[in-house]
Amino acid sequence: MRYPPLAAVLALLFSAGTAPALAQGDAKRGAYLARAGGCLGCHTEQKKGSVPYAGGRALGTPFGTFYGPNITPHPQAGIGRWTEADFVRAMRHGRRPDGANYFPAFPYPSFTRIADGDLRDLWAYLRSLPPSAKASRAHELGFFYRWRFLVTVWKWLFFSPGPLSKIPGASEVVNRGAYLVQALGHCGECHTPRNFLGGPKRDRFLAGGKGPEGKGVSNITPARLKKWDDKELAEFLTTGTTPDGDVPADAMGEVITNTTSLLTPQDLAAIIAYLRTLPPLPDEKC
Amino acid sequence: MNKTLLSAGLALVVGLGYSLSAFAQAKPEVLVKQRQAAMTLVGKYWGPVNRMRQGKAPFNADVAARNAGYLAALSKMPWDGFVASTKDTTAKTRALPEIWENPDKFKQAADNFQSAAAKLAAVSKGDEDGFKAAAGALGKTCGGCHNDFRQK
Repeated sequence: MRYPPLAAVLALLFSAGTAPALAQGDAKRGAYLARAGGCLGCHTEQKKGSVPYAGGRALGTPFGTFYGPNITPHPQAGIGRWTEADFVRAMRHGRRPDGANYFPAFPYPSFTRIADGDLRDLWAYLRSLPPSAKASRAHELGFFYRWRFLVTVWKWLFFSPGPLSKIPGASEVVNRGAYLVQALGHCGECHTPRNFLGGPKRDRFLAGGKGPEGKGVSNITPARLKKWDDKELAEFLTTGTTPDGDVPADAMGEVITNTTSLLTPQDLAAIIAYLRTLPPLPDEKC
Repeated sequence: MNKTLLSAGLALVVGLGYSLSAFAQAKPEVLVKQRQAAMTLVGKYWGPVNRMRQGKAPFNADVAARNAGYLAALSKMPWDGFVASTKDTTAKTRALPEIWENPDKFKQAADNFQSAAAKLAAVSKGDEDGFKAAAGALGKTCGGCHNDFRQK
């Protein structure tokens, strides 16, 4: 260019103008992703009139009771002081801003698979929520289970961070379904049986067994899923009624109300298509 | 003593004894099957009611009233199948031991179901809003048993 200083100034102005726009996520997209991820369920108290995402929900596990924290943008009670990098570190690596481990009751082993762009949009959505001053409740854990540094061992054994790669040879639809199930939907966190250390049994993906709170969860591999056709499955995941007029367990009922009934028909079809491609596994013995 | 009263009393005692003993003679496997049959039919008639409630099927006053009546009757039927002899049966059942460990809670859940079904059947034929509201209330009672007293 003829006037290098002008060019330099223009380049600076141009980059300053666009860089923030590139870095900002889409809160509207993030709202949909938060539904697909079921964030509301664990981060909202199970009480009438409770503030969404302000924390307080109890999750009973063999290791003790966890209470989902306040993730509204309140500077003290919530995550108002976090940066986007803090959020990504939490979801991708299961670490707090101060570097301590999160307990994997927070399903970062699934959320680590979420794509960068989606994390950005989720962050934008969380930032847009009204801040709540409700204090997060401390977990009530068994003696050895409350030491966060031991989670480092757990992670070494059971946690591989990183976004989900596409399944080679699978269609776009099946890949979308894989992403919704393995990353956002974190279905395996309940539906995959675990060993005594609470690590998921990788070769028993979605084979059911005992859920976190001790109640049985269904085998949703094709060994069982073949009993219902696509229309029946879609209807179950939107209305919460089985083909023979039966009801799901309360926990799955919540998932249907908060997540699957709110997905687009295409996304629901993708989930079903993906589930049908999984290896059929026998029921996990409880 | 009054002959009529005496023979009536005798008939009552014999009848009661007969019905009790006939009932007690039913094998646990049979009782399990029969209570499951009642629940299968509950599912059959609840399905269309639920779809109408959610607007997934057009409201049909005749079907709504008929199904509500069936559900009210069916809601009373399973309970006499949950006797102690079925607790340790080898028959295929998802009934949990909690039923006999926590009988008051189980009875409360059963009563909630029955009263909600009765309320649904009491809705005036053709009252779509009333029907949908009562159906919603009925749907909320399913978990009372199915979440705590039934396996998976």
